[in-house]
Amino acid sequence: MVLEATLVCFDNSEHTRNADFAPTRFQAQADAVNLLAGAKTQSNPESTVGVLTMAGKTPRVLVTPTPDLGKVLNAMQDLQIEGETNLSTAVQIAQLALKHRQNKNQRQRIVIFIGSPISESKDKLVKIAKKLKKNNVAVDIVSFGSEEENGDKLEAFQEAVNSNDNSHLVTVPPGMVLSDSLFGTPIFQEDGGEGYGGGGAAAGGEGGGGGFEFGIDPNLDPELALALRVSLEEERARQNATAAAAAREGGEGTSAAAGEAGGEAAATAPAAGGDIAEPMDEDALLQQALAMSMAVDQPGDGAPQAPAGGGDATMADADDDLARALRMSMAQGQGSAGSEAITDPDFLKSAITDPDFLKSVMASLPGVDPSNPELQNVARSLAAKKEGDAKEGDKKDGQGGSKGKDKDSK
Amino acid sequence: MSGQTDMLEFIEWPSVECLNQQPAHSVENAIKQGYRDSDVFLESDTDEQLLIHIPFNTAVKLHSLVIKGAESKSHGPRRVKLFINKPSLGFADASDLPAVQEFELSEEDLEGKPLLLKFVKFQRVNVLTVFIEDNQGDEDTTRVQKIALFGQGGETMNVNEIKKVGEEDK
Repeated sequence: MVLEATLVCFDNSEHTRNADFAPTRFQAQADAVNLLAGAKTQSNPESTVGVLTMAGKTPRVLVTPTPDLGKVLNAMQDLQIEGETNLSTAVQIAQLALKHRQNKNQRQRIVIFIGSPISESKDKLVKIAKKLKKNNVAVDIVSFGSEEENGDKLEAFQEAVNSNDNSHLVTVPPGMVLSDSLFGTPIFQEDGGEGYGGGGAAAGGEGGGGGFEFGIDPNLDPELALALRVSLEEERARQNATAAAAAREGGEGTSAAAGEAGGEAAATAPAAGGDIAEPMDEDALLQQALAMSMAVDQPGDGAPQAPAGGGDATMADADDDLARALRMSMAQGQGSAGSEAITDPDFLKSAITDPDFLKSVMASLPGVDPSNPELQNVARSLAAKKEGDAKEGDKKDGQGGSKGKDKDSK
Repeated sequence: MSGQTDMLEFIEWPSVECLNQQPAHSVENAIKQGYRDSDVFLESDTDEQLLIHIPFNTAVKLHSLVIKGAESKSHGPRRVKLFINKPSLGFADASDLPAVQEFELSEEDLEGKPLLLKFVKFQRVNVLTVFIEDNQGDEDTTRVQKIALFGQGGETMNVNEIKKVGEEDK
């Protein structure tokens, strides 16, 4: 909260018609000045801001330093582009305006916006800078547009006027948004690094990314930090309990459906997982996956579908199902929206070409008759593309296939 | 010096302003109680001149002034101009305008000898401006260890002096 009187030197020379800053240097500058005036008057209710134009017949003070932001914004409306800048005269007039400020408690500051080549020599500028320093005037400079020609002069000026790091030079290259790039610079931040507006947000971002556990500094508010930690512990404990219960439930659910095919078991698992609204931690996931793999193994062993003793195929089936169940449970755990979270293309392909899975999905859809011959046909044609899933696929297809053949022959 | 007190309590501290002071050697070093009698001092920055505005929270009467130089004699102030009630005085004005009172200090004066002011001219002082124009040995900077003001505070009323109307007649 620095109490200061600021006089903004506005560059309204013909050079500011240049459109290398959108929409023009002039307009970009006007936006930045409005923003700066707002920031300055908000940082301390007694801080004042005035505006002076540097070009034209003579530098002109449009508003003497005032705490009324409206006056500043109003004055910015009827600015005209004319002539060349007269930096040395402008700065001295600014100093005079600051000297006669009403409230002597205010520190004095000049903010110079310069977007045109400076005609004064370096020595003259340095002399003026020394005079400003002697009168306790701090100077911030925003160089945009003609920054290459002005670089040396402005650096020398800033160096001469700087006392106790109270003056700053900011150079903004073309193509950037002038007002945005000034946020976070010392011109907006002031001495103590007290941010407001964008500065505050930046500081907040730093705080969040600064490695504090909850995005706040525990030293600032130990009670809040403690409350957050306790709440976190409780939530963890609750989640663990829910996950364990869900794993048990899932296990029962699948063993009840032990007589059904592995694909159905896989379909039940996500349903059981769906009851758990909270994201689960890894332990719970592992437990659930284990429970499911047990459930899948059981029907695999005593599976009525594999009486022919094609042990290899059955094992392959069981492995497939296990892998699928695992993937589905993973997907379920990661994102609560089950089907959207499944992004693995291989998995999608295997799921869509698995007739059992398709059948179970179709059965669960309202208004869809799984025994509809057309659907059967589609399922069959999909299944036909799939290789290696021989036994079970053939068996299931046998029914639908005959119907399909009938249809084809007609 | 009888009846004259140190004016410290009447100084309006937030508004005290010193132009051309070094941030590390500020005006508080010379004026504030506890600072001004230690080894710290006020030093000028870009050249040898110093301009100190001392506002008071009430109109005061000033009687005398003590200016004490720092250890280095050549850095001590030489020509000193005093102005009253000119809060916006700058360096250019201070050099040109006629002062209310001027001093040319010798090295003995800088030992802490009180400088008597023209009391009649310092009767209602709201702001005292001390302008130090140059120093004893033409040094680049001027150093001041202590500035103390003595005088009488504003409108004081002594309750004991108030008498009942008509009491004197009895």
